[in-house]
Amino acid sequence: MDFRIEDELHLLVETTALFGAQKLASNERVHEHQRSVGDNLQDAYTEMGLADLETPDSLEGAELGSLAKCLVNEELAACDVGAAIALDRLGPALYPALEFQGAAAVAHLQDLCNGSIPRRVVLVIEETDRDPHQPISLHVDWVPAQDVAALMLLGPTRACLVVDGIETQPLPASGLRAAGASALTLTDALATEHWTDPAAASRAQARSRLWVASMMLGVLRATCDFSRRYAGERETFGKPIAHHQGLAFLIVEMNMALEAARLLVHEAAWRLDQGEEASLESASALIECIESARWIGPSGVQILGGHGFMADYPVEKHMREVRTLGLMAGGLDAALETAGRKLEAGAPPLDIAMPTGEGE
Amino acid sequence: MDFLIPQETLKAVEEVRKWGRDAMRPAGLEADRLGSPLPVDHPYFHRSLEHGEGRTKWRPGASAAGRPGAAVHAMWLAEEGAYWDRGVMVANPGPGLPEASVLAQGTEEQKEKYLGPFIEPDRPRWACFAMTEPSAGSDAAAIKTTAHKDGHAWVLNGAKCFIGGASRSDWILVQATLDASQGRNAQRSFFVEQGTPGLGDFKIEKKMGLKAYESTSFTLQSCRVPLENLLGGESRPKGQAGFKTAMRTFNAGRPIIGAMAVGMGRAALDEAIHFAQETGLIKRERIRDRIECMSRKIRSARLICLRACWLVDQQRPNVMEASMAKALGAQVSQQAAGLGLEILGNVAGTGTHLIEKLYRDTKAMDIVEGTGQIQRVIMARQLVGLPR
Repeated sequence: MDFRIEDELHLLVETTALFGAQKLASNERVHEHQRSVGDNLQDAYTEMGLADLETPDSLEGAELGSLAKCLVNEELAACDVGAAIALDRLGPALYPALEFQGAAAVAHLQDLCNGSIPRRVVLVIEETDRDPHQPISLHVDWVPAQDVAALMLLGPTRACLVVDGIETQPLPASGLRAAGASALTLTDALATEHWTDPAAASRAQARSRLWVASMMLGVLRATCDFSRRYAGERETFGKPIAHHQGLAFLIVEMNMALEAARLLVHEAAWRLDQGEEASLESASALIECIESARWIGPSGVQILGGHGFMADYPVEKHMREVRTLGLMAGGLDAALETAGRKLEAGAPPLDIAMPTGEGE
Repeated sequence: MDFLIPQETLKAVEEVRKWGRDAMRPAGLEADRLGSPLPVDHPYFHRSLEHGEGRTKWRPGASAAGRPGAAVHAMWLAEEGAYWDRGVMVANPGPGLPEASVLAQGTEEQKEKYLGPFIEPDRPRWACFAMTEPSAGSDAAAIKTTAHKDGHAWVLNGAKCFIGGASRSDWILVQATLDASQGRNAQRSFFVEQGTPGLGDFKIEKKMGLKAYESTSFTLQSCRVPLENLLGGESRPKGQAGFKTAMRTFNAGRPIIGAMAVGMGRAALDEAIHFAQETGLIKRERIRDRIECMSRKIRSARLICLRACWLVDQQRPNVMEASMAKALGAQVSQQAAGLGLEILGNVAGTGTHLIEKLYRDTKAMDIVEGTGQIQRVIMARQLVGLPR
């Protein structure tokens, strides 16, 4: 049992945090307004190796696991989650490619994105599997992307990749505007590739959920940190507002919830890295993040009072964006369904079910 | 980062599980029905001794350094033990809560005299730590029990309450102040042996739950103990050392209490899941979702306890994490017992089901060793510098 982050990973996290502070945080309103990040930023992100963290070694990627990705996501999202999504072109759509087929599928997705106009692959998680031989018609009300290169549809056992016939309609969007926002329509589109494997589908879902959950952790952390600092500086009735017990306890609850959610995410990611399915743990980690986001986001605004409501401070953006994030990867209900089915099937949720071994 | 549980710990947990199922839970249910602590001569305690319980980890001349990972190991065992019966766990013989203080601060002579009999005890033996007073619970710095030197003795005067196992303990480590006006700076711990004149008025309280162990009040009236009964002797550092010794005991203990609460919450959740599966309720989404929520909350509290204990093992500060572990563990265990009551419905209302006992038992976890509110005050001091 060891809660230390290994030196190499620690260095990666620190470098990412520095990149986030210098390149993302200071421009978050600019990115939001422009609804995109600049090419220079994308180049810097790629040069740092952040674009290929989980890419297989054979494609010259770092082939790191879920835990590494979660740690990096948290750092970037704490600075500007919209930009973090924009920069990660494959996003969680990487996971079906990785889990079902591996390097070849990943390379294909990368090729699709690297045209003259940078584009992204969008993942949509569905309740039922598609028949890959039938034309696909569907409408997705919102995806946090503007230029969509491909759509990855992930069902309970199957993934289908659609490249042609994707129509997008720009949207104003509630949050994550830096990543772009579109409604997406397919009319009798055909899957160019499809794979079937229940275990791969389950792991792809789990990794996608942790991708979202770790982004949420970043935003929740930013809210907790900013509102705590503000509460220590702002004075009413002759003392910092943080010293009124009503707010002091709220700040404590916010930080406890953040820590609880973070540990659930890290444990689930670690399990995935050990080769476990971890579908219950990943679903639960996402649910915890979404439930915490329900009140931490608004609490951040509340601590700042009227100032919190204004766009001069980041907490209103955090409040919008963390809830919008929670809609991704199937959102709360799909995660509840996964976790519920596992429990119904008799999964022992808390019996000491951690992997066993000779570790210390 | 590594969440792997060592084989040694797993084996130890498995042993606790067997012992818990065979002995602890039946003893806890018996005490609950009896409505009073298990008597000193109860066969359970003798079985417990034969089973290897009730012993000190101290050995003469051995290094005080603990083995690597000891706190995390202890956490898993605490969770598993409390799963079967937290009351019986506390009732178990042994040097108990003060052992850590004696190991950390005691002189070699004190360790020999007070822990020695617990190496291979000839009979079930107990010891306890007495901090709480009728007018000083969470505010441990405000205790009024006094100690003053009179010739070759310390003279103690005061009253203690809710002390686990006090009437059956061979000795009590009593927290007292040399000068109440100096607050925590003047606090010291004193060994008071059973039978010492002036130690008396033992009153075993009637409780809502956790009935297997005694919570006892007692008084110290001109109670004289030899000078050498001062923990650590007179030569050890002055200042806040006495108070800090007591607080160190609590900082290491809080995540363990949190883990016990997690174990109790797990027991309640298991009852709820078992009932829901037997009756088919598990197929109802609203039941399923509530069970998922509870298992998630317990899992996160467990991870926080683990992290707090891991920091103890790393000899790193854990004030924030220890309070978080204690606060969350207690909170989720009560929620789990409440959920269990609701899922079992009228079955829980009969008052004969384990879930009803757990509902009563878990409440104590948010009170003992610093209430949930005190834990939040401690965390607020760390997070926003909340003034004392």
